[in-house]
Amino acid sequence: MLPADCSRRLVAELRDALDACAERQRQLDRSLRVSRRLLRTWEPAETPAPQPTPGPETSEEAPSPECTPSSQELKELELLTQALEKAVRVRKGISKAGERHRALSPKSGSTATSASTASAPSRASGQAGCRVSETKPPRGIQQNVVPARGLPECRLLSAGDRTRVGRGAGVTKPGPGLGDQQTPPSAGLRAPEAFTLKEKGTLLQLPMAYRKAASRNSRLWAQLSSTPTGDSVDAATAAKTQFLQKMRMTAGGPSSGLSAAEVDAEVGPLRKACSLLRQRMEEALSAAPADGVQEFHRLLTLEGLQAITEQCLHRLQELRAAVVGQQPGPCPEGRRPRASLPCGGGTAPLWSPQLLLYSSTQELQTLAALKLRVAMLDQQIHLEKVLMAELLPLVRAQEPQGPHWLALCRAAHSLLCEGGQRFPTILRDEPAN
Amino acid sequence: MGRRRRRVDREAAVGPLPEAIATLSRTLPAGPSPEIFRRAKFDRPEAAPALWRLLFHVLSLLSANGASASAAQEAQVRMVKSELRSQGYPRRALAQLPEDGSQGSRELLLALAWLLARGPLLERLLAQTRVPLGDEIPLFEGVSLVPLECDALARPSPSAPHVEADGPMDIRHLQWLMGKLLFQWRKLITSQQEQCALLGKIHTYTRGCHSDRSLGHLSVAETELLRDAEGGQQLLRRLERENARLEAALQWRCRELVFWRWMDTVLGTCPPEASHPTFLPRIPERGTGELELVARELQALQEELRGAVESRRAAWEARVGGWGPEWNAVQWASWEAVGHELAALQQAWEPGGAAAQPHGPCRLVKSDAGASRGPGLRAAQVIGVLRSREACLEAVLCQLQRQCRQELAKLAGALPGLIWILPSGH
Repeated sequence: MLPADCSRRLVAELRDALDACAERQRQLDRSLRVSRRLLRTWEPAETPAPQPTPGPETSEEAPSPECTPSSQELKELELLTQALEKAVRVRKGISKAGERHRALSPKSGSTATSASTASAPSRASGQAGCRVSETKPPRGIQQNVVPARGLPECRLLSAGDRTRVGRGAGVTKPGPGLGDQQTPPSAGLRAPEAFTLKEKGTLLQLPMAYRKAASRNSRLWAQLSSTPTGDSVDAATAAKTQFLQKMRMTAGGPSSGLSAAEVDAEVGPLRKACSLLRQRMEEALSAAPADGVQEFHRLLTLEGLQAITEQCLHRLQELRAAVVGQQPGPCPEGRRPRASLPCGGGTAPLWSPQLLLYSSTQELQTLAALKLRVAMLDQQIHLEKVLMAELLPLVRAQEPQGPHWLALCRAAHSLLCEGGQRFPTILRDEPAN
Repeated sequence: MGRRRRRVDREAAVGPLPEAIATLSRTLPAGPSPEIFRRAKFDRPEAAPALWRLLFHVLSLLSANGASASAAQEAQVRMVKSELRSQGYPRRALAQLPEDGSQGSRELLLALAWLLARGPLLERLLAQTRVPLGDEIPLFEGVSLVPLECDALARPSPSAPHVEADGPMDIRHLQWLMGKLLFQWRKLITSQQEQCALLGKIHTYTRGCHSDRSLGHLSVAETELLRDAEGGQQLLRRLERENARLEAALQWRCRELVFWRWMDTVLGTCPPEASHPTFLPRIPERGTGELELVARELQALQEELRGAVESRRAAWEARVGGWGPEWNAVQWASWEAVGHELAALQQAWEPGGAAAQPHGPCRLVKSDAGASRGPGLRAAQVIGVLRSREACLEAVLCQLQRQCRQELAKLAGALPGLIWILPSGH
């Protein structure tokens, strides 16, 4: 049995580790759900489509009267559908049957939008007129189209859309992407063709609004990351420094030294230093010097390592002293994960993500597995140190002849030396008689 | 963001200071209006709640804490105070503010300015709340599985809701927890592998779709945007909000000087703090644990080195007959070489160190091998770095386990009449 406080601490530690794992697992599960859903057949949207009535997020009743009645647009619609008909005839051989979902609901909707926005000529006028439909499924338009023709519009539209996509005219409007899944079925046409990413993924196109916002976003981030220079910057920096100094001076009394955050910041490097020094030491000790020169080299190395270790210890004592002199007060509750904010090593930090190029799924899996392994090793090492700090003293202190000592020893061995995966066997060596 | 529209109207009428403050407020998440700032200068109580909320929000983001935004007022106040203290906030007046959050607007304003002055606060906040458009993987930093601040050696009680009965516990419970942890890890690995496979597929299936050529294919977020209209709208809105904040942050860089001048006046309106005697010494909960662990390790290392050095020096001196007054050229060369090596070694952990490792999240992009030009990291390279880190950590773990084995063997060896059969593999 372990004493209460010791077991409490160890259990707390292990539970923290379990919680961290569970959190990571939850995040992974969420991502898995999303990814799996994307790779399955995409469902047409939930609302019963055939109704001309608006779906949840749109109020096409409002925009449609604005958009549909325009005779100019009707004419253009007419032109467009003729063009699309032609396109269908041309592409009939290529396109598979019944893939009005090929472009994915967004596409067909987008074509409908483009129909309303007067594809070829003045996109501007159409765009202005149907700005609303840019973000809403132009169901009104669709309805216009539907009664007008008995053709398989959707097939038409999607085929036509493909030409647009191919030309990259950018006419395909964002509307589709954003909520148009209801439109194709709404035309009340043939049974919805399943859309799968596998077959038709390459035909997807991002909505214009998104594209604009995303490129603006990356541009702004790039600007933010570039180190600003100039007089105004220098003046601002000077003003800030001055302000900080004044703050310190008005603080009434000498500063208390290092803040907790600063202490924390140093502990990490010291830990790293320790492990690197140890590694170096082991390398030096394990090498077999061939001659006097190498022996001398080794001796100097070891002495140098010793000096550095003492420096580190000295710094540690300083930190300890600073920590002791801290102001009292309540502590932040719970644990704090490593503050994971991107800060470059002195150079201008990259605030937005870099690209990481991988060439095959295998490579990605290896990368991710290694990352996970490194994190796990980190955790394991931490647990190992904590267990050592708690269990070894217990084993030392307990009475070896006691009944529980063997059990404790065996369990400690398994936890400390085998990572909890294997156990030693202990046999009593009784004399045969 | 309604601020912006009104601001445009008033632009002609407002001076540089309100403009600067308005810009600041637009950049901050949940930024209060410039009026609040103005009132805070005069320490008006009505400005206090908004500022407490703001600081709570900002500090939770900074510490990457999962602090719930719906925490009670007192909890928020306490959190703000303790967080600022641990960051080293110099003024004591903050600690003396009442916990009901009804006062202290000027002090909070000073605290905000202090945070702003110390580092790239706005950029960090923006980075924390960034809308992830791509499939990201954090590299070398990011949420670690180790609770860094957890002080195992001085914790009062577990914070977990399911507290076990306090009291002596069977060590088998620990073993059980350990086993559970191992199982969790294995599950994580499999889930992770599956996720990667799915990502690979999605990236392949959507190749050529992205308007940005350097990316080439859609990410999960973008594909999801196409599949789910509602979600897509939300994403777009968030993106636009972020863009607005980014723009404000860039504008702030041009306008902040007048703000700092104004802050000087704010500081001037504060009564001088009475000089207090020394603080009560206290060992804070956090931090000692880690310090202690590291201290122990370093001390152990020091011992070993001492032993190693002494024995080898004695051997060397016996061999060479003591240090002569002159070293020969070879010896000097060795000395220099060792000096360089150790200096390089030290660089590896010094904060300003050479290791310009990629930090932060990276966006995954699938591109066929051969894309050797262009910006971005290559997976192969990162894998190399990770492998060496893995090897390093494995060595550390092995060494720790070896240490334990030796220790336990020593203790067990004291007992005669027992045969220890260690698990195979050793």
